[in-house]
Amino acid sequence: MTGHRARFVQTTVEVEGRTETRVVEMPAFEPAPWTADTPLSIVGTSPPRVDAFEKVTGRARYTADIVRPGMLHAVIVRSPVAKGTLTAIDLDAARTLPGVRAVMGPGEAPAGTRLFRRDVGYAGQPLAAVAADSLDDARRAAHVVARSLVFDLAPHAVTLGDAMATDAPNVRSDGNVVEPDVVERGDVARGLADADVTITREYRTQVALHSALEPHGAVCEWTGDHLTVWESTQGIFRVRADVAKALGMPQGRVRVLKDYMGGGFGAKNGAGAHTYTAALFARTLGLPVRCINDREAEQMDSGNRPASVQRVTIAARRDGTLTALVLDAHVPLGISGWEGGPGQIYHELYACPNVRTSETWVYINAGGMQAFRGPGYVEGAFGLESAMNALARELRMDPVALRRKNLATRDQRVDRPFSGNRLDECYVEGMKRFGWDTTSHQPPTTNSHVRRGRGVAAQTWPTGGGPPSYALVRINSDASVDVLAGTQDLGTGARTVLAQIAAEALGAKFDTVRAIIGDTERLPYTGNSWGSMTTPSVGPAVRMAAEDARLQLLEAAAQIMELPIEDLTTAGSEVLALSCSRVLPFSELCKKLGSLQIVGRGSRGPNPPNVAIVTVGAQFAEVEVDVETGVVRVLRIVAVHDAGRIINPVLAESQLHGGIIQGLGYALFEERHIDRERGVPLNTNLHDYRIPTMADIPAIDASFLFGSDTVANHTGARGIAEPPIIPTAPAIAAAVADALGVEVREIPLTPWRVLGALVE
Amino acid sequence: MKLTVNGTLREVDAARSPTLLAALRDQLDLTGSKLVCDRGECGACTVRLDGDLVYACLTLTAACENAQVQTVEGLASGNELHPLQQAFISHDAAQCGFCTPGQLVTAAALLERLPNPSDGDIRAAMSGNLCRCGTYPKIIAAIRAVADERGAAT
Repeated sequence: MTGHRARFVQTTVEVEGRTETRVVEMPAFEPAPWTADTPLSIVGTSPPRVDAFEKVTGRARYTADIVRPGMLHAVIVRSPVAKGTLTAIDLDAARTLPGVRAVMGPGEAPAGTRLFRRDVGYAGQPLAAVAADSLDDARRAAHVVARSLVFDLAPHAVTLGDAMATDAPNVRSDGNVVEPDVVERGDVARGLADADVTITREYRTQVALHSALEPHGAVCEWTGDHLTVWESTQGIFRVRADVAKALGMPQGRVRVLKDYMGGGFGAKNGAGAHTYTAALFARTLGLPVRCINDREAEQMDSGNRPASVQRVTIAARRDGTLTALVLDAHVPLGISGWEGGPGQIYHELYACPNVRTSETWVYINAGGMQAFRGPGYVEGAFGLESAMNALARELRMDPVALRRKNLATRDQRVDRPFSGNRLDECYVEGMKRFGWDTTSHQPPTTNSHVRRGRGVAAQTWPTGGGPPSYALVRINSDASVDVLAGTQDLGTGARTVLAQIAAEALGAKFDTVRAIIGDTERLPYTGNSWGSMTTPSVGPAVRMAAEDARLQLLEAAAQIMELPIEDLTTAGSEVLALSCSRVLPFSELCKKLGSLQIVGRGSRGPNPPNVAIVTVGAQFAEVEVDVETGVVRVLRIVAVHDAGRIINPVLAESQLHGGIIQGLGYALFEERHIDRERGVPLNTNLHDYRIPTMADIPAIDASFLFGSDTVANHTGARGIAEPPIIPTAPAIAAAVADALGVEVREIPLTPWRVLGALVE
Repeated sequence: MKLTVNGTLREVDAARSPTLLAALRDQLDLTGSKLVCDRGECGACTVRLDGDLVYACLTLTAACENAQVQTVEGLASGNELHPLQQAFISHDAAQCGFCTPGQLVTAAALLERLPNPSDGDIRAAMSGNLCRCGTYPKIIAAIRAVADERGAAT
């Protein structure tokens, strides 16, 4: 039963909506799924975050809090212009300044790092770097270098229109506009012909910035030819691979550590300029080096959610049945980025036989995009859900009724079932909690220029997770338990959730179990914490490792208790005999085992074939709009999501709050502004790029449909981190439209845009 | 120069660390207070200076001679957590935790000033402390719980 060897098989797996052939590991055994009826005592309860004490006492050490003996500080000099060639730079003046240890400029970093190039493609691009004894010394020297920069300026394009114009300047040498990605199913022409009602709208979304409070940063230290990297990252193994490749060294000589992290939201998935800068200076100077983005660099050059223009045609019969959905989207990516666009949700959220999406990615001279919580789906949901709400008005149908009439019952992209999809129950539960049938949108009586409105929107997001992920569960001689998995906790609660899963599977008391994460050298591999995947990817590996350890524990107990193993079970850190009342606490059992250490091994098996695994949900918003000032106040949000089993309801609720509040900022005020003439971002701080404060937040009623997705994986849990941000903005926009009596087609809904919508 | 930090007399070199935040973090190894915006926008570096709430990133070290400074590290008495720290734990009022020290220092000052704040008072007092994880509802709940418990006890 133990000591199993895994088999490797070739299979097709889904990655970011695409199908790939991969070799995956088939674990020798998979535990029986925890069903909705399985009695569980720790999973499904809400013990406090295991690292909360460190966080409330200020003792949690984040990357910027790491201090190493003799540590130096590095600052990167960035381009103040959007496009051109760096023709002159003076590094020598900076070298003579107090405290300065080294300066690096164009041509001095290995090609693999792509650092310090003379051809400039966006404002904020790294051009040089300084290492000094103190951060202040490094900053002063960086200013001196910055003043010496001379450019041969070239025309830039920082807007979609400028980059697509017939006489547009070259943003990149390989062209500005990527060939459209067109995905079609059914016969759209026929679907349009069959419709009773067809509406076409254009929706616009803005560039949003992640704005994690902890900026990107790294501390690097060499010991001989071994490099240790402390990095604020969502993917320690990805950082290791990036650094090894860029510096041309074996992965085994790079150790990446990450203990605490001040948020990521998708922007921290690999090594960056700060990592390479710190590593290179540390190698040259033989001392540890810390390089942390300042806020301006963070807001200019650490990624963003790109803007979008979505031209949507939606066609339906009089009874609301959708007959065609057409999207023509244009997305200005920045200087680089991957193409996860707004189109996918158009294929997934509703039953519709005829769908065509066209996504055109356009490069512009601005910082490159990075995944940002629900990338593509957040932008797409604003277009799709706003169009659905417009269609409901056109049909004089209730927008919830319209959605329930068009529920997707299968994944129509490849015609396969869902592992579980209870979106209709989310609508029903949400309507009940919101009082949808009884909430009128009449203006409140107190103030005649304040109007009230309500709106709804829905969400889908692929959350199956998958292999590879590995975990070990170690039972120490005092019966304390270590869970070892090379994953990371962004603030989501992964440490807590994985300890809960292990404690449950092992039959151990929760407070005897701790999860050890964030070290590439000493922990087994797991993938990046992205795509809402950590719980569904790593959770099953941890459960399997704990089940393996439990079996070994029972085998040992059977010998000691002289009972058949079938007669034994575990609970509360005790081995219990079913046939009699004998009990052997883990602590006594381990004492008898001496220094023998039980180590359970677990891995994440493949997902079930031909099944779509998604988290779905619906959100309802109520707002007040002052039609004289244009100010929108969100009064309340009701959110109901189906993510399968919820391991820790309180922590998961925090995730819903976070997604909704970020979605509120996206709906109402978050927007990167860029000067079209100069090509430079204007609001690179947390005052002018406004994120929600406590004063902005509404009453939030966030809940789950509790259950277990036994098809998805044997823990029954799907992901929940990204889904809650997806429907918030269109729900708020719908409520604003309801209050105003006119459609709103562009976010953020700043007072100017609200007043503009009224005079249109 | 000398100043009292969390009840202990300490010596710092103001020339080496122009801002109080840098002095606390780099010279006294009190890294609970965070550098986030470096311009008084986010509240992650909030500390008490002679009882007043200040942004340590905008406070000159040289202006703190002989002052009383309290940071998040000074909230607990030994191993006994401040009631707000306990409430932040039990209400899950810290996600990534990066803003948490500033939130706690601000909340502690609020409850000293207004032992029984309304929700409006809490929102007004706390709205200078940004949280990107969106933990606000639980921060409100944690502060509310401490205020209510104290109210019930008196």
